[in-house]
Amino acid sequence: MSIYERGITRGDLLKAGGAGALGLVAARPAFAGLARAESTTLNWLTWSDHYANDQLKAVAKSIGIQGRPTLFSDNADAYLKIKRTGSQFDIVSGDALWVPKYHKDGLTESFDLSALPVSKQLFSIARSFPFWQDGSNYMGYPFSWSTVQIYYNPKYVTTKPDSWHALLDKKYQGKISLENIPTDVMAIAARATGAKKPYSMTTAEISKAKDFLKAFKPNVLKLASQNNEVVRALADGSAWIGITNLGTDDRVKDAGGPVIKTAYPKEGTIGFIDSEQMVKASKNKAVFEKFINTTEQAPWIAQNFLTNGRPLFNEKAWKMLVNQGHGDRAKRLLYNQPQKALKMTIKGPAGNEQAYVDAFNEALGA
Amino acid sequence: MGARRFAVGEYLGFAPALILYGAFFAVPLSIVVAYSFWKVRDYNVVHEWTIDNYRYFFSVPTYVRTMWATVWVAVLSTALTIAVAFPFAYWLVRHVPRRLQRTLLVLVILPFWTSYLLRVYSWLNILGPSGAINRFLQWTHVTSSPVSFFLYDRPAVVLVLVYLYFPFAALTLYASLERFDWDQFKAAMDLGARPATAMRKILLPQIRPGITTAVIFVFIPILGEYLAPQLVGGTRGIMIGNLIVNFFSGAEYTRGAAASLLIAALIVVLLVVFRRSLEIKDPYASGR
Repeated sequence: MSIYERGITRGDLLKAGGAGALGLVAARPAFAGLARAESTTLNWLTWSDHYANDQLKAVAKSIGIQGRPTLFSDNADAYLKIKRTGSQFDIVSGDALWVPKYHKDGLTESFDLSALPVSKQLFSIARSFPFWQDGSNYMGYPFSWSTVQIYYNPKYVTTKPDSWHALLDKKYQGKISLENIPTDVMAIAARATGAKKPYSMTTAEISKAKDFLKAFKPNVLKLASQNNEVVRALADGSAWIGITNLGTDDRVKDAGGPVIKTAYPKEGTIGFIDSEQMVKASKNKAVFEKFINTTEQAPWIAQNFLTNGRPLFNEKAWKMLVNQGHGDRAKRLLYNQPQKALKMTIKGPAGNEQAYVDAFNEALGA
Repeated sequence: MGARRFAVGEYLGFAPALILYGAFFAVPLSIVVAYSFWKVRDYNVVHEWTIDNYRYFFSVPTYVRTMWATVWVAVLSTALTIAVAFPFAYWLVRHVPRRLQRTLLVLVILPFWTSYLLRVYSWLNILGPSGAINRFLQWTHVTSSPVSFFLYDRPAVVLVLVYLYFPFAALTLYASLERFDWDQFKAAMDLGARPATAMRKILLPQIRPGITTAVIFVFIPILGEYLAPQLVGGTRGIMIGNLIVNFFSGAEYTRGAAASLLIAALIVVLLVVFRRSLEIKDPYASGR
């Protein structure tokens, strides 16, 4: 019987498997050393609009640090991922008041912002947000900001909806799209119903906000998992109204959609101020600053603005946009007015997250 | 002679299976069960035992309503999937030359070569206002402007689910029909049975395990679906999976765990029921 004719016994298979596994374990340090010598990979928990693939490729090529993004939608989700995964992530993006929450709970580490040459490109106000200061250090690298307002298609919405309550009108049944972020949708309902602190509502205020959402539900076409779905719904005409970030009108136009107008609700609104934070348990903290210093350069930020259409904090990018002939668009989208970011109700952790999610589900379930 | 001594060596062969089962099923499931009886306080899971998560689920009509809606969508989608897959598998076995059967089966599973997300997204391009159906209706002057009826409601969810799970049902039913002894079917016809009677009394009892397996493969995953309803169902097509996702994305792990286990419990009950259908003792109920 030749070796080819002899069948493999279970014992042979186990022995071969065991030997292979041992070989891989033994060889791992050698390969890991080789990989490290060539490049470092930074695992980045972020939103899809914080980077572009060509940007990551170019950064990897120039400094040998590869950013590997993993996406999330809700700050609470990202917070828990960082809390539970320890050193698996190196950078995490976070919203306004979530940043001090991360820091207070020992999940992120502050750094000397002025030590990053790229920080000189930022608007001065972005370097001094009081809620991100940790002594002389800063808790996150400022990235972008936006109010969340109403966008509407004037072909169908003839009266400007300048109040959250205008969205309860029955003529908009199944015609409104917004992102599925329970805490933020509850905060919008809080603004609509006059709660004093949208992210720290009392039980009575939560109840009023829930009633508002119940009345609002028939008009909701879909709760989108990502912002680009809202843009798509406005572009293809299935939604007449979108509750979303600055710049949606341009993105809808870019997607071949109709002219979309904006309305700022008189009750006020919420908004975000994004940052990149250094994860405390990261094993690659030494290269965080180098990576940020390269990815946040003005040309990339200007490109990001043109793609995603909401203001960012890089002042040099603003000047570039003006020089490139995009000044009107940037001005219209408040790029040169970063101080407005502090006028909105900024996003943060809910005082009672469970009550927020419960109320959201109860209002918007079947 | 006394009881034979317990020999460890005899059971050692089970060790890999036990380790695999324990590490990838029993331990994770136990963790989910434990979570469902704990609390969340300030984004931290607190190990204080409570049944509040279960009580909450049953005390809020929205969840019970959504659960029922989910079961109905799953029942309807499964019935339609089987109704479409059965004639297809029958046609394949009975009327397609054997050499072509394999090719057609490969075509059935071809969609699996693309991502699940992409397959659901493609329906947005078919059912949406600027999608293929609306364009066709406008081109044929049946409608003058896009109709929004096709998307963002339960019918769209059911349609997409039928499309997604059709291959599972078709392959299972094909395997079952291919093994069936068609001479018995012919014999029944020779003895005067009508085709429908022969199918009901001869074919269906013998392929019952195949039908049951197809139902299990389709019905159970649909109960946990959340992406298809999220993308094509809108707020009118919400299923229980969507509410569970909200719990998890809002860091409410304990509530999410309880709701997930309630679905799992429903599935276990259904599997016990289905298990009986998988056993064929006397398909013709001859009483002997």
